[in-house]
Amino acid sequence: MEFQGTERYYLDPELGAIVNMALVMEKPLLLTGEAGTGKTQLGFEVAKALGMPIEVLRCKSTIKGEEACYVQDTVLRLNDARFGTAATGRDVNDFFDYVIWGPIGRAFRSEEREVLLLDEIDKTESDVQDNLLDVLEDCQFTIREVNQTIQARKRPFILITSNAKRELSDPFLRRCYCHHIAFPTPEQMREIVRLHFPDLEKGLLDAALGIFYELRQKGFEKPPATSELLNWLGALQHSRITPERLNVPFVGTLLKRTEDILAYRGGSKRLKVH
Amino acid sequence: MPFTGFLYRLRDYGVPVSTTDAIDFHKGLERGLAPDLESLFVFARLSFVRRVEHMDAYERAFLFHFYGIDVPRVAEGDPELLNTPQFREWLKAAVRNHELPPQALWTMSPDELMRRFWETLRKQMEAHRGGSKWVGTGGNSPFGHSGNAKGGVRVGGPGGGRSALKVIGERRYVEYSDTTALSGSNLSQALASLKKLAPAGARDELDLDETIYQSARNGGEIDLVFRRGLLDRIEVVLLIDNGGSSMLPFVSLTQLLFAKMRDRFKRCDTYFFHNTVYGVVYKDFRRREPLPTGTLLQRNPETRLLFVGDASMAPEELLWPRGSISWGDEDGEASLVWLQRLRDRFRHSVWLNPIPKEDWKSAYGGTTIRRIGEVFQMEDLTLGGIRRAVEHLNE
Repeated sequence: MEFQGTERYYLDPELGAIVNMALVMEKPLLLTGEAGTGKTQLGFEVAKALGMPIEVLRCKSTIKGEEACYVQDTVLRLNDARFGTAATGRDVNDFFDYVIWGPIGRAFRSEEREVLLLDEIDKTESDVQDNLLDVLEDCQFTIREVNQTIQARKRPFILITSNAKRELSDPFLRRCYCHHIAFPTPEQMREIVRLHFPDLEKGLLDAALGIFYELRQKGFEKPPATSELLNWLGALQHSRITPERLNVPFVGTLLKRTEDILAYRGGSKRLKVH
Repeated sequence: MPFTGFLYRLRDYGVPVSTTDAIDFHKGLERGLAPDLESLFVFARLSFVRRVEHMDAYERAFLFHFYGIDVPRVAEGDPELLNTPQFREWLKAAVRNHELPPQALWTMSPDELMRRFWETLRKQMEAHRGGSKWVGTGGNSPFGHSGNAKGGVRVGGPGGGRSALKVIGERRYVEYSDTTALSGSNLSQALASLKKLAPAGARDELDLDETIYQSARNGGEIDLVFRRGLLDRIEVVLLIDNGGSSMLPFVSLTQLLFAKMRDRFKRCDTYFFHNTVYGVVYKDFRRREPLPTGTLLQRNPETRLLFVGDASMAPEELLWPRGSISWGDEDGEASLVWLQRLRDRFRHSVWLNPIPKEDWKSAYGGTTIRRIGEVFQMEDLTLGGIRRAVEHLNE
C-alpha cells in the first residue's frame, strides 16, 4: 500500500514520502499551512488512491469532541417515550437505538481500514483537542451512558489539518507527525496549474504567475492562494486576456476583501493599519 | 543505536527531542523508512519536529551533522549575519587562506562581505550535492538493508531531484524560527499564539437536565431548554511606545496583530506613550488626546495588559520624579511608581520588547530595561517571546 498521488492532484514528492511514513508508523499526520495548499484535498486523494473509505469531521468552534464519536438522539428518545414507538421498530429501553455515530465512531466501527480526516482541528477549543487525544491515540472511546468501550476494528489512517488559527497544545502535537506545507513555489504552481489547465498558453501563464506572486508579497489581509489563482486563470483564459502588471483584470477573483481591493486600487502602497 | 549523536545535536540546536520520539524513530528505521539520506532527512524531521518554529534549526543541525556545513541561523540578507560566529570564523579563515586580501576588512562594505559569505556557503553546498555520501558516518550506511521494508511497503525518498540539501538551502522556514522577529510573513504564527488568550466556549447546547425537569413538570410534554455555553471573553489593553525610532517598524505590526484579533476579545483598547508611562497615556497615535493613567487603573483587574516598547531611555526618565521629557507630563511622580501601580492592579501583564533578548544587557537602555524587567515580565517580540508572554498572561 503506497500512496503516489492521483491525476488531478499534484503531489509534492516529499509530501508523498511523508504520507507513506505516517501510514507505516500508524501515526496521525497533522498538516498545517495556509489555505489553498491542498491540505484537505490530500485526505480525499489518499482515500481514492488507496481505495479506502473516508470519514470526515469538519470541525467548528462549537464542537465538543464527544459528538465526533457519537451522539444520543435525546429528543427522539424523549419523543418516543412520550408518544410510543409502535411503528418505528425502536425500543425506548435500548440505548443503541438512539445512538447516532459521528465520523470517529463510524471509522472505528468500520470493518475496513479507513481514512479519518479531522479537518481544521484548530477551530475547536483546546480542551476538545485534549479530549480527542486519547481517543485517537488508543483508537477507542467510551460511551458514557452505558459505560461501553468502542475499540477500532482497524486502526484508521488519521489525517488532521490545521490552518493555525490557534495554536495546538504540545501534548496534541507530540502524538502526531506534523508537517507544515509551505506555499507552492512558482515551479510547483506551474505543475498544479498544468493539471487543471493542460492547454494554457505559456505567455499567459508566465504573466499571470508573475503578477500572482507579486500580489502575494504585498501584505494583503487575505493574500490570494491557489484556488483564487485557478479561478482567475479560468476567467483570463475564457476572455482571452493576457494580464498586465499595472491593470489586473478580474482583480476581484484574486482579492476577496474590500479593504484589499481598495488598497490595491490605491496603488502599491503598503496596507494602512486602522 | 545509530544516530544518538544526531539526536543530541538536535537538542543542542534547540529542537526538543523526547525519549518516546527517539524510540519511535528507531522503530521506523527498523521498518526501513530511511534507506537513504534524503529519506532520513524527511523521516527524522517528521519524528522530532513538531513546530514549524523548530524547522530551521532542524535543517541547520542536519546540514552540520551530515554534511559538515555550518549555516548561521539568520536568513540571507539579514545584517545580523555580521554578529554570528559562523561569519566571523569564515572571515578569519578567508583572510588566512588568502581568499580575501587583509585590507578587504576595511575596504569592502559589510554588504559585499556578507554576499561573499553566502556565495562561499552555496558553493560548499553545491560541492556536496553531487553524491549522497553519508558524511557523518564516514560513508557507510548504518542500515543493513535496502529500501524494501517489511510488509512490502516501499517508501521512496523524496525523489524528483529535490535533495535534502536543496531543500535546506532554500531556508523555507527561517521566517518561522523561534528567534525570528515579528514580521509581515510570520504574523499568523504570532496570531495563533495570541488566540490562546481568549478561549470562547461553545454555544447552543441543549440543557438536558433542565429539559427533563421541565418536561416532567409539564406532565410529560416535552419542553426543550437551551442554554448558551459559557463565554469566557477577556479584555485586553495594549500600551504601545510610539516614541523612539527603534519602535517604528513594530508599531504598525503590533497594531495589525491586535486588529486581527479584535473580535476575539470582549474589548481591546490601544493607548500610546513615549518611552515610559507617567500620569497620562494617549488615545491617539500622535499623542494629543490624553487619558489619565488613573482611569486605566480603574479597569477590571482581570484585564490583560500588554506593553510594547523598547524600554530604553535615559535612567532619569524612569526614576526621577520629574523625569518626563514632555512638558505637560510633569506630575511629580517617577514613572517607575506608575508602572508598579499598573503591575499591582493587573496581575496579567507583560512587557514585549522589540530588542532581542540577548541584546538587552548591552543595549543603550540596558539599565532601564533591567529596572522595568523587575516590575513586568519582559519578553522579546519574537514568536517564541510572544508565546511565552501568552503563557505568562494565562497563568
